[in-house]
Amino acid sequence: MFSVSLKSRNSPLQKLDGRTKLIFLAVIFILVLLFTDLLYITALLALVLAAWFIAKLPTQPLKEMMQFFLWIAVIILIVQVFFYPGTTNLVHISKPVPAIGFSGYLTLEGILFGLAMVLRLVVIMIVAPLMVMTTPLPELMLALVKLKIPYKFAFIMTTALSLLPSIQNRSAIIQQAQLCRGISYDSGGKFITKLKASVSLLIPLILGAFRDSQTLEVAMNSRAFGAPIKRTFLLESRFTPVDILVIAGAFMLLTIGVMLRIRGFGVY
Amino acid sequence: MADQEQPKTELESSTPLEQPGSTVTQVRTYKAKGRIVGMSIAVLAIWAALYIVASAIPALPVPGMAGMITLNAIMTAISGMILGPAAAIANAAGGIVSMILFPYGFSAGPLGFLTVTMGGLVAGLFMANKWVLAAIAEILIIGSWFVNPQSWQTGMWMVPLPYSAIALLVIVIKPVRDWVRNAIITQNKKTMWLAVFMMCIIGHAAEFLTTNTMVNWMFNLSWQYWVPTLPYWIMVDTVVILASTIVGVGVLVGLKKARLPLFPTILEK
Repeated sequence: MFSVSLKSRNSPLQKLDGRTKLIFLAVIFILVLLFTDLLYITALLALVLAAWFIAKLPTQPLKEMMQFFLWIAVIILIVQVFFYPGTTNLVHISKPVPAIGFSGYLTLEGILFGLAMVLRLVVIMIVAPLMVMTTPLPELMLALVKLKIPYKFAFIMTTALSLLPSIQNRSAIIQQAQLCRGISYDSGGKFITKLKASVSLLIPLILGAFRDSQTLEVAMNSRAFGAPIKRTFLLESRFTPVDILVIAGAFMLLTIGVMLRIRGFGVY
Repeated sequence: MADQEQPKTELESSTPLEQPGSTVTQVRTYKAKGRIVGMSIAVLAIWAALYIVASAIPALPVPGMAGMITLNAIMTAISGMILGPAAAIANAAGGIVSMILFPYGFSAGPLGFLTVTMGGLVAGLFMANKWVLAAIAEILIIGSWFVNPQSWQTGMWMVPLPYSAIALLVIVIKPVRDWVRNAIITQNKKTMWLAVFMMCIIGHAAEFLTTNTMVNWMFNLSWQYWVPTLPYWIMVDTVVILASTIVGVGVLVGLKKARLPLFPTILEK
């Protein structure tokens, strides 16, 4: 299964502060949920894709993500195209079937609304990876801390990230050990086999990791975790004039979007 | 001893040196603050890391859903009874990071971590015997489904019924609630399986209904999608809950035997 990691180096987007990118992400997410008009959502998609290409990101992850969400996109499209209560009839399909709410026609509004919802899904799914692919994870975590997320919570996230390789390693070792005992992790296996495999992996993985937590707790206490001192960071982040420009642009976009929505634009 | 009159908030005098008339220099040690709702932050961090790893391991492919059910669905269902209310924080941390690293498992997009947070919160509050808060959270989750006008369509009232209604009943009815909690805390061999099954229903129901509600708001899915697919989703949820029960019992028994951090043990003490 594919995962998302830093792909963009030395691009204008990569040089932006993590907080700026988080604000941009939030603004796009809010705007895409505000509008249901195809035109507005297409404009947002164009903006996100433009950012994608400015960041010089490869198109392969986009294709992989599209394949992954193809199923749900098709379902959303079918449901909206056939059952959205439109008024402009385009294609006659069959007699009306009131029991399932089908008018017998494909309507213009149904098609436009269905496409708008599919594009909404695309925007939602690619906007977060866009940020991750242009921001190293430590910078992302620092951005969250700088945005006043409680330190204990940020600590849990950063510690989880740093523990990830060792737990992945442990998971691989357990899988190998269980394979020796005849438990199959083959993806082509039967449903019950997969279930058994999941159980045989999770229980030893959780128990082993919890044992490690004892050591981590001792280490944290010995270093006076939570002591009332001013915390400093290895990485420092500062807003540049470009960051301020991007944040101002994002807020302007949000304000315009909210104003348009209040005045009834951008919705069916 | 001037220090004794200070409020013992951040720093505390170490007890062995507090002898009257002692001339030994006061040694001040820091009182550990590494806990959230009774659970060690180290354990929560480990759980978050486990959650991220589990997000990368596909368990069951689910047609009609964005991607597949990964092992983190099982972890969400059992998190409340292992970590208590702090499960919400561990799940949220793990959910945010795994959403960043493996975005395919979250059909609700960047807010997908909220679903696993709610799952851990309701089950954790129930386990901590904060049943009023757990019931309020569950009612809010069920209510948020019905706030959307899409949910007023034919048959949409059935969607939250199967497991969320059972979860709410388990939380609200006192004899059932006490029985479930006692069976898990005491690890009664005869009744534990059913009790863990009930707990997994509470954790998973909160998660999946929050997901459904968010997806419904985002994509305006009508009854023509939800009602015909309802039996299918009940089947998927049943499989997840059953798998979570098997894992949950194994983990509870294992953690207690190994004397590792476990919320029911804290309650027992």
